[in-house]
Amino acid sequence: MNSQSQSQSQSQRRKNFKIEAFKHKVELDPKYAERTWKVLEHAIHEIYNNNASRLSFEELYRSAYNMVLHKYGDKLYSGLVATMTAHLNKIAKSVESAQGGLFLEKLNHKWADHNKALQMIRDILMYMDRSYVPTSHKTPVHELGLNLWRDHIIHSPNIQARLQDTLLDLVQRERTGDVINRGLMRNITKMLMDLGSSVYQDDFEKPFLDVSASFYSGESQQFIECCDCGSYLKKAERRLNEEMERVSHYLDAKTEVKITSAVEREMIANHMQRLVHMDNSGLVNMLIDDKYDDLSRMYSLFKRVPEGLSTIRDVMTSYLRERGRVLVTDTERLKDPVEFVQCLLNEKDKHDKIISTAFNNDKTFQNALNSSFEYFINLNNRSPEFISLYLDDKLRKGLKGASEEEVEVVLDKVMMLFRYLQEKDVFEKYYKQHLAKRLLSGKTVSDDAERSMIVKLKTECGYQFTSKLEGMFTDMKTSEDTMLDFYAKQSAELGDGPTLAVQILTTGSWPTQLTAACNLPPEILTVCEKFRTYYLGTHSGRRLTWQTNMGTADIKATFGKGHKHELNVSTYQMCVLMLFNSADGLTYREIEQATEIPALDLKRCLQSLACVKGKNVLRKEPMSKDISEEDVFYFNDKFTSKFVKVKIGTVVAQKESEPEKQETRQRVEEDRKPQIEAAIVRIMKSRRVLDHNSIVAEVTKQLQSRFLPNPVVIKKRIESLIEREFLERDKADRKLYRYLA
Amino acid sequence: MRRSSNRKSSSASAAAGSGSTKAASKEFEKIDHLFNVYADKSSAIIDPEGIEQLCSSLEVDYTDVRILMLAWKMKAQKQGFFTLEEWRTGLKALRADSMSKLKKALPELVKEVSRPTDFLDFYSYAFRYCLTEDKQKCIDIESACQLLSLVLGTQFGPQVEKFTEYLKSQSEYKVMNMDQWMGFYRFCNEIPFPSLENYDSDLAWPLILDNFVEWFRENQN
Repeated sequence: MNSQSQSQSQSQRRKNFKIEAFKHKVELDPKYAERTWKVLEHAIHEIYNNNASRLSFEELYRSAYNMVLHKYGDKLYSGLVATMTAHLNKIAKSVESAQGGLFLEKLNHKWADHNKALQMIRDILMYMDRSYVPTSHKTPVHELGLNLWRDHIIHSPNIQARLQDTLLDLVQRERTGDVINRGLMRNITKMLMDLGSSVYQDDFEKPFLDVSASFYSGESQQFIECCDCGSYLKKAERRLNEEMERVSHYLDAKTEVKITSAVEREMIANHMQRLVHMDNSGLVNMLIDDKYDDLSRMYSLFKRVPEGLSTIRDVMTSYLRERGRVLVTDTERLKDPVEFVQCLLNEKDKHDKIISTAFNNDKTFQNALNSSFEYFINLNNRSPEFISLYLDDKLRKGLKGASEEEVEVVLDKVMMLFRYLQEKDVFEKYYKQHLAKRLLSGKTVSDDAERSMIVKLKTECGYQFTSKLEGMFTDMKTSEDTMLDFYAKQSAELGDGPTLAVQILTTGSWPTQLTAACNLPPEILTVCEKFRTYYLGTHSGRRLTWQTNMGTADIKATFGKGHKHELNVSTYQMCVLMLFNSADGLTYREIEQATEIPALDLKRCLQSLACVKGKNVLRKEPMSKDISEEDVFYFNDKFTSKFVKVKIGTVVAQKESEPEKQETRQRVEEDRKPQIEAAIVRIMKSRRVLDHNSIVAEVTKQLQSRFLPNPVVIKKRIESLIEREFLERDKADRKLYRYLA
Repeated sequence: MRRSSNRKSSSASAAAGSGSTKAASKEFEKIDHLFNVYADKSSAIIDPEGIEQLCSSLEVDYTDVRILMLAWKMKAQKQGFFTLEEWRTGLKALRADSMSKLKKALPELVKEVSRPTDFLDFYSYAFRYCLTEDKQKCIDIESACQLLSLVLGTQFGPQVEKFTEYLKSQSEYKVMNMDQWMGFYRFCNEIPFPSLENYDSDLAWPLILDNFVEWFRENQN
């Protein structure tokens, strides 16, 4: 044994024990390789010539297998490439030669063939695909086939442009109304996708999008010149749907969002302003005419583009604000407060319906509506009063016979308007006045409706807002009980006197009206005094003041020919009428002196007794419409009415006259001062030191549920508090205020 | 003039105290002597008439601001009157015990007052000095205008002129309180005039100044 073999056997012993597969050693000389390749080459030809049926798959597979096995993979692969390329070039020429419409068909047909061939070739060369291709980093057969198709057919100079033009031309024709072969288109685009998404994009999609953009740019320009807004939007919608349908039928799904955004941009985004503001047919006209379909279409189309919905919203908002402003400043309309409020409610209803029907109940639109209403309702500082008057009308007669649900609906709608008010404390003042009149005259349509309204106000504004209102209801109930007790205990003494019904009002709960009592007729005075004695007997320490401006009376009157009527009148009217028991005629001044009723009330009173047709129980000389201090009044013997009971009361709530309005406003301003001061003190007590702006902001926030405080008034209150030594200016930084404990 | 009896009473009352007061009365001898020149005999207080005489001795006008400064130095409580205590306080602080020394001390006093910290004190004193009634907190606008001219006229002439013009032309405010008085001084110091460029009514300026600024800006155009 020489040393070499020793080391060899040693190395052999060091190697791991291995089992080797049994190799059928077939010697392949180059000539054999060439022959084998020729067989395969021939097969490829036959496949391409549609003559594959006569080939033996197994034999071909084995040939290919052997070639690879014996390290002739390179030859096989390059041969494949060459052969395929040659065939594809032939195909290219064939496709190029096709005329007109047959071009695409031929291409499609050849493509199908190619795929079939490729499949077969790949099957045959599967071993090469699996072993040679990966290790030598070559493209797998199938992919190779596609790439070669792409390079030699699709990107062939005579085909590439023509293909693109043909496809785009077909699309154009379809857009202008022709019917095209969609199946064929489908196959072609699918082919491009199969070749790689970049091929699809570069050779078709990008030019498609460019051409589409300019097509729609042109079309939209044309439409907008000749169409009204509604029709334009219909057309735009149609085109949009068309494109989506096109994609689903013969384009790749990923193209959808690209083409739709092109259409959206060209047809909608670029013309948004013009569409919205179009004369006679734009957004505002649609809103006015309740064009739900058009509005709905505009909403869904504009939703697709940036700033689309905000454009609609902004135009709607400025329209609403302007419309509202006109409404609340229309002097004609303001003459009838109930009509005025009804008008506002109608506007709200109308636009609520538009938002729910056409704008998909979009919350941002709802907010825009609310802010617009809030803006213009507060432009008219009589809005709080008018809303209260509207409610008064409804609760007094408007809701008569209405079901519980109907009542709730109306009250809820009014609450919506109430929420918009900045000066809720003004509303409170008027509501109290009107409620008082309703309660005292017994003229309310339903107690439940009244209470329901109070509950709603309480929910909205808190207990403080409604505690006094509830007090009023309590007083009414207590008074009823008191009267029962009074008559039970006093019936013997009262005898034949007039029947008294007293409502005892707790001062502070009821609106204050500091008018002195007028002179009551002696019969009434007597029974009133009896009541006073009775009441103070059971409630010592209290003080009773007769409010003669708020009462009513039922009087039996006999007119000429013995006609008897029962008149329902106010206390003032009763005082006046009773005077005519002892005189047939009286001058204004005599009446004024005898009753001591304040002038303005007296004039109103006399007017309702003498100047209203059907209620003229008094006759006036001269017969003018207005009451002057020189007038003379006579008992109207000739009064007739088909009703036995005649109602002449004037205690109905009315729109205030200018001086009354000033007075109420002044009272409101006075009431606000302590509220502002209380807020300032509360804030400073907890914060100790604060700068001016922060105080103003905090005070505003605290009071916003009642009213919007004027910053100047806030400053005045602060200075007043400084003077009264509740606050001081900080010595170090005079921009700050400091709380003085 | 029952000078001797006065002196006796004053020294008697001084003697009633401790030994130091004897020295004190000696110290104040000249000052008291000067006091009695102008004081009313029955009340033992310098009254308005006495102050008038004092002014002519000092060769200053009755309405001169220096008298006000003197009052400040004395910490005088009531306008138009100087008590003995106040007289003593003031003259001792000025180191003057004769008319000539007092006269010489006046320019010094003026300089002292115009120092910022002292001026602030003087300024607020001037307002309080005008409150004649017990619980009075405000002075009428007319007097306020006069006082402003007197006290701030030299330092902030233009502002005072415009402000007093405004005060006289408006009818909303009939009186001025301490807060507004002090606010005006701050205004003069912090806000450039007549540009008023950094005036912000959202800061804690008294409302009367907000209104003044608004009036001024409107009348400029």
